[in-house]
Amino acid sequence: MSDILNKTEDIVSKAKSMGADEVIAKTTFGKYRQVRFSNNQVDITVAWNDYVTDLALAWKKRVVATQIHNFRDVDSSVKHLLELAKVSKENPMFGGFAKGTFKYRASKADKTLENLEDPTEYVFEAISAAEKEAGSKVDSGGILFTRFEDVYLASSEGPVGVDSRSAIELSIRAFSEREASGHGVECSSTLKDFKPTLAGQKAGEIAKLAKNPKVGEEGVYDVIFDPLIFGSSLGVWGGMVSAFYVMIQMSVFVDKLGKKVAPDIVTMKDNPAAYSMSNRVFDDEGVPTKDNVFIDHGVLKTFLHNTSTAKMFKTETTGNAGLVAPNPWNIEMEAGNTKKDELFEETKKGLYLTNTWYTRFQNYAKGDFSTIPRDGIFLINNGEPKQSLKDLRISDNALTMLSNIAGISKERQHVHWWGEADPPSLSPYVLVKNVNLTKSK
Amino acid sequence: MIDEEIVDFALDYARSKKIEYAEIRAQSQVQDRLTLRNGGLEAYVSSVDSGFCVRIMAKGGIGFASTNKWSKEEAKEIVELAFSYATSANRKEKLAFEEEKGVKTKWAVDQKEKIEDISPEQRISSFTDVDKALATCGVKVVATMTQCMIDLTTKYFVNSEGSRISSFVPKIGAFIFITVAEEGKTEQAYQQFGYSGGWEAFKKWNVPEEMIHNAKVLKDVITKAKPVKAGNMDLICGPRVTGIAAHESCGHPMEADRILGREMSQAGRSFIYKGGPYWVGTRIGSDAVTVVDDPTVEHSYGYYAFDDEGVKARRRFLYKEGVINEFLHNRESAAKLDTRSNGSSRSVNYDREAIVRMANTFVLPGKHTEEELIEGVKYGVYMKSFTEWNIDDKRFNQRYVGREAYLIENGKLSHPVARPVIETTTPKFWKAVDAVSKSVEYEAATCGKGDPGQGVPVYTGGPCLRLRGVYVK
Repeated sequence: MSDILNKTEDIVSKAKSMGADEVIAKTTFGKYRQVRFSNNQVDITVAWNDYVTDLALAWKKRVVATQIHNFRDVDSSVKHLLELAKVSKENPMFGGFAKGTFKYRASKADKTLENLEDPTEYVFEAISAAEKEAGSKVDSGGILFTRFEDVYLASSEGPVGVDSRSAIELSIRAFSEREASGHGVECSSTLKDFKPTLAGQKAGEIAKLAKNPKVGEEGVYDVIFDPLIFGSSLGVWGGMVSAFYVMIQMSVFVDKLGKKVAPDIVTMKDNPAAYSMSNRVFDDEGVPTKDNVFIDHGVLKTFLHNTSTAKMFKTETTGNAGLVAPNPWNIEMEAGNTKKDELFEETKKGLYLTNTWYTRFQNYAKGDFSTIPRDGIFLINNGEPKQSLKDLRISDNALTMLSNIAGISKERQHVHWWGEADPPSLSPYVLVKNVNLTKSK
Repeated sequence: MIDEEIVDFALDYARSKKIEYAEIRAQSQVQDRLTLRNGGLEAYVSSVDSGFCVRIMAKGGIGFASTNKWSKEEAKEIVELAFSYATSANRKEKLAFEEEKGVKTKWAVDQKEKIEDISPEQRISSFTDVDKALATCGVKVVATMTQCMIDLTTKYFVNSEGSRISSFVPKIGAFIFITVAEEGKTEQAYQQFGYSGGWEAFKKWNVPEEMIHNAKVLKDVITKAKPVKAGNMDLICGPRVTGIAAHESCGHPMEADRILGREMSQAGRSFIYKGGPYWVGTRIGSDAVTVVDDPTVEHSYGYYAFDDEGVKARRRFLYKEGVINEFLHNRESAAKLDTRSNGSSRSVNYDREAIVRMANTFVLPGKHTEEELIEGVKYGVYMKSFTEWNIDDKRFNQRYVGREAYLIENGKLSHPVARPVIETTTPKFWKAVDAVSKSVEYEAATCGKGDPGQGVPVYTGGPCLRLRGVYVK
């Protein structure tokens, strides 16, 4: 496969020789498999074979990019891109692509995922586990997804690297009744650490407990968030520490650098570590990725940067470059020193929420938003999730909720889910005080 | 860019196997994406993507495989993969597609000003000019983010029933997000624009005027708006609010795949289900309410003549005079419910399965003027546009928060109202409608569904609606 790296480097050389000032090319060979299921049966099994070279170049601070899907198209693509650059507009904030040669840690991608052609058996393991928990009448649906990518990166500014990235995830939602469901996910970068049964068990457990839901009451509650729903919140806060989103005011963290935004018990970082579904050893500029603590004991320490945004903020890149904006890869919430069960025991009256969807903001800078809990919603009474509820909505503020975190469990789970719990995260059970819930009238 | 010989070869190869159905869908997409931050061009991304997929039904199961490698060897490989997935599905309940006759046709959307003839400089300056206009409009606009999306999409669809359909659709879209700061407070708004056709869209949109209006509204929200005293009152929804309600609480719950549970783990199910309190023929709204989904609205963002299963597009009456009338179907869901597909199968690209989707969902007009609706309100709120919104995954409990909104007192508009909220159920919303205005307006949107996500271009819209006695806070 060094042939592919050579071809990727050739693209960079070609663009340089044709007049580009700075060039980055990243070639990805991807193999993706998916099984979609509902009503306990497989609906469709899907395979994608894909390859692409993402090419970005700068000419007199004009930044242009393209995707090349066939190495035969390189000459015409580079020519087109340079022509585009010459009629494009200067981006005065462009600070150049990352410079230097870097040593990357070895990729730990799981090759068995590259060769896994039909992962359907894991779907049935999860369905069986849900049935075991919630009974044979439980109705389950979801997806199983596998990804294996070989990535080759070359830059005119020095970085050259090869990475392999692997992931497998299973998401299962089990219905024990029409309006009683539970959701479980299992996410990993390796097949050996992937336990589909756990996702099925969790979905089944919650679905069983969620039977006979009553319409919940509006009010202010202490809420225990399950790792899956809290993963959604981590995704929101993680996205808002991207310097790009700070600059366009789509962030509650504007003007908050160095300030206290959460209690001392809260430490969050971005870390595309080997276990994570977002595992990678370099970013899209070829900068080695690392763990970046962005909230340290409640204080906002840094935004996430690429080279250009880092220059604007007079700091160093954090290795979070995407094509245009810096992105979080995998958010980790530092574990607390309380057991999950103790969190529940401490909560005499409150709610336990397990999943959510459709999070929307009125104003990102202020942080006012609402989101709709789904699957199990439970009233906690004397430390135990008891009555199942439905039809409630969190209508609160992202900054207020962050500052109202009152307890974090020792237990954490690697979670990711369609649309909401994205990017992946390492998420604990979290107690948040005084959360506002509303309902339809 | 599309090699029809390879596509035809793939179909022939699939037909050589024991299949019940096979289709090959090839797509080539010329894409330009412009991103501007605070008036400056951040990046110009210009790409061409082309590839094809194979979908096979065999032994009552479905397999799908796609590739962007254009060779006969690759075609054979993905046919083999799709076939093996279909035959190994081992479904107890075998899948089938409702019957359709093969169609041979070509269709395209015309452009008055061809996008291909518009230089990159002109494309860029069209949007930087919007920022310049905002900078001098008398409102403190502290941040902007603009995305322009241009897609020139060519498709070639063949199936084992003899269909052979070629199409070309140019689309242009834009998304602009602004933040206004006044008196130490901020408010934010976004607007999306979309059109199937040529660059003539840009003039039709009046982007600078629209965004200046948005900026002034936000300034008024900060400086003049007062909260509404919560309680039951009349509510007039402007076309944008009507449109989002039509999309969320009519279009989505009427998707047959959702009703059948196929999206149960992601986008969810529907409050409409067999044996439940709501089904075809059940009243869900007042007589004044007719909601349609119509892909044939010319030059609409969601326009198409044939869907991605080769079925001819037509208008669908979803809620008809307040009664649940017709679901959105593809061939799989139609077979399960023993009916015909109504051409609702869409896919964003060759590497995505076509699933049941909306196109342009809107409320049909009534007989009143907007002024008559307002005159008929003693005390209430006119919600012209919205900011935050959402709906639960059974599409029953929804919430819309007003952006541009005014108090109505004794039939006249009064002062701006700060973020009025309606949080209600689908039947309560549609049953409260007592009058509908006669002019329809559309707004572009991107509808999300599917896993991996498929954001498809749509219009939402309609006339103004008057709702009687709903709870507003």
